[in-house]
Amino acid sequence: MIESVDTDVLVIGGGAAGTNAALKAADKGARVAVVVKGLMGKSGCSIFASHLPYHDTSTEQKGHDRLRYSVRYYNHYLTDQDYCLRMGKYMRTEFFPDLEKLGVYWRRGEDGRLMATATRTPTIVSHKQGASGVIIMDKRRRAILGRGIPVHEECAATGLLQDGGQGGGRIVGATLLDLKSGRFFAVRAKAVVLATGHSDYLATRSTGTREQSADGIAMALRAGAETANLEIQWWHISDVLEPRSWMRYHLYPNPLLGTEETSRLYNQAGEMFYEQRTHSPASSAPYVEQIRRLAREVMAGKARWDGGYWSGYDHIPAETIMAYQHQAKIWGKLGLDVGKDRIECGITMHMRQGGIDVDTQRMTTSLPGLYLAGGIGSHYLGGVGPVSYDGKVAGEAAAEEALGRPDAPLPAGAVADEEKRVFGFLQAGPAGPDAVRPIAAKLRIREIMWELGYVKNEAKLNAALDGLLQVRAEMVPRFRLESASRAWNTGWQDALDVAAMLDACEATVRSGLLRKESRGPFFRDDYPFVDNETWLCKTLLRREGGEWRSRTAPIPTPHLKPEKLREPFFDADY
Amino acid sequence: MSPSSTPTTEAPGVAPGGSIRVRIRRFDPSVDAAPRFESYEVPRTRLMRVLDVLDHVHEALGVDLGYRWLCTSKKCGTCAVNVNGSPVLACWEEAQDGMTIEPIGNMPVVRDLVTSRDGYEATLAAVAPQLQRREEYPGFPEPLAADDFAPSVHLRDCIQCLACQSVCPVIAQKDAGFAGPAVLVALAELALDPRDGAARGATAGSVAKVFSCVSCYECERVCPAEIPIVSEAIEPLKRLATAQGHVAGARRAAAFLAVVKERGFADGARVAFQLNGLTLRALRLGLRLFRRGKADILGAWRARRAPGADSVRRTYEHGEGSP
Repeated sequence: MIESVDTDVLVIGGGAAGTNAALKAADKGARVAVVVKGLMGKSGCSIFASHLPYHDTSTEQKGHDRLRYSVRYYNHYLTDQDYCLRMGKYMRTEFFPDLEKLGVYWRRGEDGRLMATATRTPTIVSHKQGASGVIIMDKRRRAILGRGIPVHEECAATGLLQDGGQGGGRIVGATLLDLKSGRFFAVRAKAVVLATGHSDYLATRSTGTREQSADGIAMALRAGAETANLEIQWWHISDVLEPRSWMRYHLYPNPLLGTEETSRLYNQAGEMFYEQRTHSPASSAPYVEQIRRLAREVMAGKARWDGGYWSGYDHIPAETIMAYQHQAKIWGKLGLDVGKDRIECGITMHMRQGGIDVDTQRMTTSLPGLYLAGGIGSHYLGGVGPVSYDGKVAGEAAAEEALGRPDAPLPAGAVADEEKRVFGFLQAGPAGPDAVRPIAAKLRIREIMWELGYVKNEAKLNAALDGLLQVRAEMVPRFRLESASRAWNTGWQDALDVAAMLDACEATVRSGLLRKESRGPFFRDDYPFVDNETWLCKTLLRREGGEWRSRTAPIPTPHLKPEKLREPFFDADY
Repeated sequence: MSPSSTPTTEAPGVAPGGSIRVRIRRFDPSVDAAPRFESYEVPRTRLMRVLDVLDHVHEALGVDLGYRWLCTSKKCGTCAVNVNGSPVLACWEEAQDGMTIEPIGNMPVVRDLVTSRDGYEATLAAVAPQLQRREEYPGFPEPLAADDFAPSVHLRDCIQCLACQSVCPVIAQKDAGFAGPAVLVALAELALDPRDGAARGATAGSVAKVFSCVSCYECERVCPAEIPIVSEAIEPLKRLATAQGHVAGARRAAAFLAVVKERGFADGARVAFQLNGLTLRALRLGLRLFRRGKADILGAWRARRAPGADSVRRTYEHGEGSP
């Protein structure tokens, strides 16, 4: 007997994209349900939002700066430029008002005016720099709960349901596993919005949080969707090295609110090698330039990827930092003086520019009934503003489609197969030569992706691929859990995560092998040049009957084109 | 120069030597009859947090320990655990040798260190769902001054980790119907918002039972965000409830104030008699306390007054007469 619940629109994910999709679909009159693997508004990447781009397009110059920033510095031309224009308009006219209406307080100065950072692409914050995401997501959470929209929290979506068999048909719902109780059930939906984000915990040091194991990528791939540009993976370089669990503590490189000052990065010799105002004045999200500069230090033996370089604000009065930076308190917690001391940093795998291929007009995919919102898409890097736009477009489109469709029968066979897969992992056994705890495979996958790292080439990509295939072949079949309890069984969660991580990582590495150039955050030392002649395109992958199928597709540049067809990677300013 | 600002060549995560022993309370309500403690040895790493210890038990020792964490940077508020009996954020506090780690109190255990947030969420939804504007939204950016939000500036630092709820002695008395400090912080933030027009005083007094708070300051003591919960959330709500006439729940506070006004000091026994009347139960309790020298029940019925009682009364009258 399959337990199931019905809805018009099922939203998978509880970050900025998913919550806005749910609200906008409900506004259209659709019945909506939300499933969140963590806690809505608390898990995922949105909570980390620090400062938000205020899309000031009041003059032609400002409008041009804004588009140029989105296309060139944020997405390295791997975006849909018309989407950027539509999204920019939404940011200006809806995003901030919507949140202000809900009660978000956008920081004012003493004169009562909004306080913005002093960059060519200004940003504003709620309450404190570093705390905006917490406040925004709390308001969204309360708006959803206040409207009585059902939310399944700490519940993993394990697979997408299709009519006409898995791997091709229309999406008609998903299977869910309640991680607290082990209850397995199906949601029958007329449309599904996938909003699982772009920061996954796939490398030893990652900004992705506990629950983020690329489930969205894996589910969409299994259903037959196509991935695009998965290899375009960003890294943070100014995240705390120790304690180990503080890898997600980000020492913001962006200007401090109300000042023109930015943090500085220093190498082993104490030489300053990066500050945003000097080295990437046109970009307020300067991570790509940061890691290129760190790469030079590492190659010169003056820093390591995991330490040997420091970030600090010691050139700025401590009061200035304490006034605006939520994270400045960590100096005190470590017994350091923010006005004097520096903190050792390491790189962390951060957001993925690529994702599932999507048509941005209505956020549709190649699978009917499946919509995307946010970082899970391949169309734009992300950010709580842009992904909220996606949520609105996807939520409204999904609701419109759902309201015009009859109920589809639940594909009982597919639900039973998925139940078998999920409960197949729930086998306890003592540790030993024939038993592998799933966490060991999880750590190994993260190690493989960490070793692949920032500097890639054919040999390293192939080694990573071999490593992943080995985990799949040799570790997964030997999984045994410490207990077969269904209540918050960490080992069971790990086993399910590993299955998703393997699919997503394998696709990522294969996508990296396809792209024979370097661009933005993606660096291959065997192809150390930006090649706009051949590679201003998407690298696309899907699976068909167990085989990988790849292709490329050009990306149009209707408004902005790169000036040079080909230039050395380290010379390009984007 | 501090350790973190000194260039080192060591690889990260390398133990500065030795290991620590920790005790963790394990409990799976779906199979275990009762909780038990297990002991683990964990290599010490530099600047190690409580969460690093839990990660080691899970990752290196392969234990299917139930613990909750998301952001690891003091934003999500999901990793609170009791360390040596007091709630802390696992991601924030340094690990100690010999520490005992348990789930936080006042809420049911899901598994091991994972507790249910359902009760808090239901109360929050009933008490402080969201802003109710007194006037229509005027459009972005709405006219606001930085000063408008100064009284609630610290309240916005709340990350809902529920450390405060877990130590509140009034929540522990389940029949009090008290919403708890974290819910009151959310309610106060709305009540102090110049845009809000809802009757928050009524909610504070009648629904959230703000007057049940005994001002013990336990919530402030444990708050990782260092929010002055009593003085900046609970007291403003009590004032608001009083000003709006919702003092039904303020029986204790009113009795306390009346006794202090009359006698010039906090005559505990008199307050107790005023509240409970002369019941058999109250007499038994009174006698017990009397024998231990903790309550002068005879004094409670005498019209005794402290030496400075007149001055106290004048202060009251001055306060009551002021606008």
